[in-house]
Amino acid sequence: MTGRVFEIREFTLHDGPGVRTTVFLKGCPLRCAWCHNPEGQSFEKETMVRKDGRRVPCGEDWSPEALAEELLKNADIMASSGGGVTFSGGEPLSQSDFVLAVAALLKPKVGVAIETSGYAPGDVYERVISQMDFVYQDLKHHDADAFRKWCGGELGVVLDNIARLRRSGVRHSLRVPLIPGVNDSEADRGAFAALAGGSPVEYLPYNPAAGAKYPMLGRKYEL
Amino acid sequence: MTERIKSLLDRTFAKEQKKFRRDVDWKPLLDKFIAEGVDDETRARMGLEAMLAAEEPAFMEGETIHFLRTVKQIPDLHSDAEMDARRAAGTAFGEKGVVFNLTADFGPTIAVGLDARLDEIAARLAKAEAEGDAEGVNFLRNADLSVRAVLGLADRYGIEHVPHKGARTLHEALQFLRILHYAMWCEGEYHCGLGRIDQYLFPYYDADIKSGRLTDEAALEELEEFFIACNRDSDLYIGVQQGDNGQSVMLGGVTRDGKNAFNDLSRLCMKACGELKLVDPKINLRVDKTTPLEVYEAGTELTKEGLGFPQYANDDVVIPALQKWGYELEDARDYSVAACWEFLIPGVGMDINNIDAVSFVGSLDAAMRGASAAASYEDVEKAFFGEIQRRADALVKKYAHVEILPGPFVSVISTGCVARARDICKGAKYNNFGIHGTGIAVAVDSLAALKDVVFEKRLVTLSELVKLLDTDFAGRPDVLSAAEAAPKMGNADPRADEIAKRLIAFWGHAFDGKRNDRGGIFRPGTGSAMYYIWHARDVPASPSGRLRGQPLSANYAPSLDVPVKGPISVVRSFTEPDLGPVCNGGPLTIEIHDSAFAMPDGVTKVAQLVKFFVERGGHQMQINTINRETLVDAQKHPDLHRHLIVRVWGWSGYFVELDKEYQDQIIKRVELCA
Repeated sequence: MTGRVFEIREFTLHDGPGVRTTVFLKGCPLRCAWCHNPEGQSFEKETMVRKDGRRVPCGEDWSPEALAEELLKNADIMASSGGGVTFSGGEPLSQSDFVLAVAALLKPKVGVAIETSGYAPGDVYERVISQMDFVYQDLKHHDADAFRKWCGGELGVVLDNIARLRRSGVRHSLRVPLIPGVNDSEADRGAFAALAGGSPVEYLPYNPAAGAKYPMLGRKYEL
Repeated sequence: MTERIKSLLDRTFAKEQKKFRRDVDWKPLLDKFIAEGVDDETRARMGLEAMLAAEEPAFMEGETIHFLRTVKQIPDLHSDAEMDARRAAGTAFGEKGVVFNLTADFGPTIAVGLDARLDEIAARLAKAEAEGDAEGVNFLRNADLSVRAVLGLADRYGIEHVPHKGARTLHEALQFLRILHYAMWCEGEYHCGLGRIDQYLFPYYDADIKSGRLTDEAALEELEEFFIACNRDSDLYIGVQQGDNGQSVMLGGVTRDGKNAFNDLSRLCMKACGELKLVDPKINLRVDKTTPLEVYEAGTELTKEGLGFPQYANDDVVIPALQKWGYELEDARDYSVAACWEFLIPGVGMDINNIDAVSFVGSLDAAMRGASAAASYEDVEKAFFGEIQRRADALVKKYAHVEILPGPFVSVISTGCVARARDICKGAKYNNFGIHGTGIAVAVDSLAALKDVVFEKRLVTLSELVKLLDTDFAGRPDVLSAAEAAPKMGNADPRADEIAKRLIAFWGHAFDGKRNDRGGIFRPGTGSAMYYIWHARDVPASPSGRLRGQPLSANYAPSLDVPVKGPISVVRSFTEPDLGPVCNGGPLTIEIHDSAFAMPDGVTKVAQLVKFFVERGGHQMQINTINRETLVDAQKHPDLHRHLIVRVWGWSGYFVELDKEYQDQIIKRVELCA
């Protein structure tokens, strides 16, 4: 078994407690208009072309053992700081068997967390989150039509998984990426709070550099 | 911050102090020195007397700690022709030749007062006269008059008690310190450090608190006023760039008898800096493996403000390293930094910690050109080390006979000069010379790349590679790509890190057994000072893929524009070598994106990173919090970013006041945690 990764980033400060490394898995079933990691959308390997003309390959296949070994090179500071590894993407649940295999190798030594859109079949979702110490669950929109329009998916899938997350008892936080004119009104806030049903909600400010990587893939940022 | 401090701070930023300034032409004084053949010691005293006589007491509204420079120029004591003649006769000088990069022993004089020091000088003078010690007599007479000149200006300021008598309160101690520090600059010394203020000022703080004279808030206000004063005249101080003025403070560490020295005053000093957000004084913080995380967190609060300090120094590495170099244990425990990061013992060190530098990138370039027939990678590395040794030996020869110009006043406030009846320029307890090693990461990356490209992938021969370096890899993009893809220092990749270990081990012993004519040793280091800009001009492209004209990294840091996994791997790589033998100083320098502190626990995480560095045996570390977009914008709109502070090489300065070459280098540095 291999998994496809487009970035391994050390010392990520926004992805959970303690000192962490975040693994970005390549490929996502959604197409959020504001996605700031467009190279994480396709499941295929790609080439990014930098402004200076340099070509940067994007997408590398790892075995669970090799990836765990690479990540555990920093096990000392991860463990001493109460940190670990966070799986992100792309959509890590799209490579759930791989994520579970890596997590199993990491867990005796360091913490594991996941950042997910929640866009996956319910059984897959439950299997993965049950192995996580912490879950960052995206809540991108509260309205099914808007979710279809902006993200290209069915909101019901996500809401069902959020219900599973709450039932699971796994520590979690709901993350709302605030997008100007899409989901950032007062009324939107009220709707998000209602959907959260008591789970903690973090509102993430819009990243004005979100479109930066699109030209490197020969694409246009539409938002 | 109180309203009074806020007002002083605002007016200092607005440069109100400049309204007191005037120009003085000192040429007649120099002409007199030359015409009358006045000796060096007397010139130094007469220069100080003339300078202080020309100074007018000046007061900024609301201040209680006085002494402000009003005369812009400090007298030149020697003409260029005189200095050139001495050089031609075989004398070497460190930079301008005067005492510099030095921290005096402020504490004892603040305790007893200058009147008592005059008595001491008089008693010693009587002895020198009785012994017929002409040199001693000349020094002591000039020392006496220098002290009187300082007292004269203090009297004209109308300051009471200090500096005649010893300080009784924290406020008096700070006023006294201001006078002594100010007088050093007026005597012509530069890069004058402040040393361990949390140690030598602690008794006054402690007595004030215990007696109820001061609350912590009031003590903070006094410290803040003193710190603001350190920023008023700093544009008149000599440096390569604005901000490079050596006003360093060392906090924490251990006492001379080995007890934990981090105290309430250390904490208060950090708090004052965090509130003021000024470039001076530049805070250094001594830590060791027992330092609790909360001390690192307090330091990181300053990092978060973008001040570029504290710079951390690791007692576990530095103290034993200094001992190995012959420093006594009690002295080693008392270490501070000279101006930037060169470890120095205040009061007893007349070390010239940055007398010169060896360019590793230049050494490698020369070695490759001389070893084009090398049959193996090992041959190239051997030739490289041989070239480093050749350059090290040349520096030993170059600085076989160094003279330092006298400073009678700084001698009085240094340990033992009066007792010895000799100016500090003749030598103190420690008289070592420090040599920087620049471009470590580019040299290591270059060796790793040439090993890969020439001896493993065999894309080119060594002589072909050397030719490509002269043309920026023209026509061979494949070689450039392979060089860029080769292992780099900072990625925890043993293929690069093992080379770094061998290089640093070699460099650490390149001066073993060598002595200068003051009996001192040569201390190799990992700092660069401004040589990271200068040495980059001397070489074409590098085998690492660095193109001609691209700067080197400052100090001990990954090459610019090199992709690294992140700060943990950087720390891992840069703590692999044994850093004791290269403890002249030279910090691991990393840049962190300011968004790192957007989350509430960002401070804790960055603090954990520093703690990790220390636990892994790092010697020294500094962290810049920057945002590339802000820096680029500041180049375009300097008026909007007048307060933007960056760490340059061993000091923090205002970004918009730097030359573009230095600005650009900072923008190119690896920015972690974006």
